[in-house]
Amino acid sequence: MPKGFTLWFTGLSGSGKSTLAERVRDTLLERGMKVEVLDGDEVRTNLSKGLGFSKEDRDTNIRRIGWVCHLLTRNEVVAISAAISPYKAIRDENRKLIGRFVEVFCKCDIDTLKDRDPKGLYEKALNGEIKNFTGVSDPYEAPDKPEVIVDTACEDIEVSVNRIIATLEQLNYIPAGDGRGYSEEEEESIKQRLKDLGYI
Amino acid sequence: MRFWKRKKNRACVVGLDGVPIGLLQRLAAEGVMPRTAAIISGGGLRAMRASLPPISSVSWSCFMTGANPAEHGIFGFTDVAPGSYQLRFPTFGDLAVPTFWDELGKKGKRCAVLNQPATYPAREFPGALVSGFVALQLSNSVWPKSHLPALEQIGYRIDVDSKEARENADGLLDDLEATLRTRRQAAGYFWKQEEWDYFQVVVTGTDRLHHFLWRAVEDPDDPRHERVMRYYHTVDEFIGGLWDRFHEGRSGDREGEGFIMLSDHGFTGLRRDVRLNAWLRDNGYLSYAVDEPASIADIDPEKTRAFALDPGRIHVNTKGRFVGGSVAPDDVPALRQELAERLTALVCEGEPAVERIFTREEAFRGPKTELAADLVLISHDGFDLKGTTKGDDVFAPSHFQGMHTWSDAFLWTLLPMSDDPDVSDPASHIMQWVLG
Repeated sequence: MPKGFTLWFTGLSGSGKSTLAERVRDTLLERGMKVEVLDGDEVRTNLSKGLGFSKEDRDTNIRRIGWVCHLLTRNEVVAISAAISPYKAIRDENRKLIGRFVEVFCKCDIDTLKDRDPKGLYEKALNGEIKNFTGVSDPYEAPDKPEVIVDTACEDIEVSVNRIIATLEQLNYIPAGDGRGYSEEEEESIKQRLKDLGYI
Repeated sequence: MRFWKRKKNRACVVGLDGVPIGLLQRLAAEGVMPRTAAIISGGGLRAMRASLPPISSVSWSCFMTGANPAEHGIFGFTDVAPGSYQLRFPTFGDLAVPTFWDELGKKGKRCAVLNQPATYPAREFPGALVSGFVALQLSNSVWPKSHLPALEQIGYRIDVDSKEARENADGLLDDLEATLRTRRQAAGYFWKQEEWDYFQVVVTGTDRLHHFLWRAVEDPDDPRHERVMRYYHTVDEFIGGLWDRFHEGRSGDREGEGFIMLSDHGFTGLRRDVRLNAWLRDNGYLSYAVDEPASIADIDPEKTRAFALDPGRIHVNTKGRFVGGSVAPDDVPALRQELAERLTALVCEGEPAVERIFTREEAFRGPKTELAADLVLISHDGFDLKGTTKGDDVFAPSHFQGMHTWSDAFLWTLLPMSDDPDVSDPASHIMQWVLG
């Protein structure tokens, strides 16, 4: 039975975290795994209700999400966090706490985000109507060594999802899925072919 | 005022797996490949560096993405599975970046790609894809599946039977000819069936031929030389046929523009296998936990500082990189240097075996660099660097006659491209051409 792990999406608002989290969740559910998504916006309406956007409040919010992911992971559930999580130190703290932690950096340049702006937030932030807006008036610290980088400005969603799933397979966090990895029998056939040509 | 429709730039790429530039030039000059001779006579032929290491899965992945292995994530036919020392076999799904065909698809272009190594299992594709080596079942090698009945009707063969080839050289030649026949039929089918902007077919029989019958390629006195030359002549007819069809009704074009030929690595004769793990064990860098190791999974991680994977990839057993890592990261540079110095001095019957050693940083650039081998070795011609864990002797005879080479693959194109290309280079130029 597959063990739990945490898939931690990080990136600026509008960079595709929630969309990708949902798509990856669907794929994992199809493969019979237990999955829970902690979406940044949803968390702020319940688990972290009342918290603001000061650095202290943001850190508390991300620590709370990390703690819930930790509980889910140790109970063999796949926890997917989709919150901006702008500060590297807190993300690393969660990585340490959780252990089985896969960080996905949703990279997207600010011009594309401004064009995309699904919630109209960048416009407001640029007009000064929203203070402490990450990427405009608040810092965002990109991860140094995320397990996956998805460039959502130029990649198709399908490509990004496939890369995330392939990484999870490569890490042996999930079993190889249909058409993506090899069954044991296929692996034996491949091994034989490679031997027949002296490649192994 | 006249209305005019912008002319479409199309590309047709012919891949000849494992054909070195020297052999192509020789066969062209000797009249074995007259159509190829005519094509290359006007210039455009140049040597091309294969990937590091020079094997098909890596080299073709570089070609199809225009990326370095540390970007596309394919480092060999095998890799070490995370969290263990078990070997794993990367699939097309492991390719971490889009192919240039995917990019062309995004711009509304359609591609028909036949027998492309390292694309198994076939996946969603902007046009039609038939995977090549290491493809297993045809049903999983074709996208979209609607092409499957036509290929089955042709009796399409993905590859020759390499197991049989070892025992029966004449049977291999029968198999090579039959496989090429079905490849030509399939190419004809896709040429007509698909409304393509980019067409590609790879002949992999050349690589198989060289592995098993290199002496017959090189030696005019070999009893199978003539038949091998006939095989090459058939390959040449195939190329000529594609050339003719490519130019049909396109008299306004500069002849040959958009037609490209290339190989993914070169080839040379093989004299000795060099078993790198035997050398590492003999010199105190590697220890096994069992008497008869079946693979790298049988190393004793605590007593192993380095191990080799095919072909010529040496990994330092670094803490944090491998589950039982024994070498502190700070000690890796010195160990790499020590290994490189000693391996450069490795001699077989008075001749050096290793020509050049690349460190990870020299060979790779990209987000997956840390997954790459610490050292990639390129051998002198004749010495095939193996990652096997079997056998006690460092140098051993091989039942193969040919081995891959790095710096003498070839590229023929009239598109403006570097005179000193790497196999990752053509992708962006081909894209630019097709997008007009």
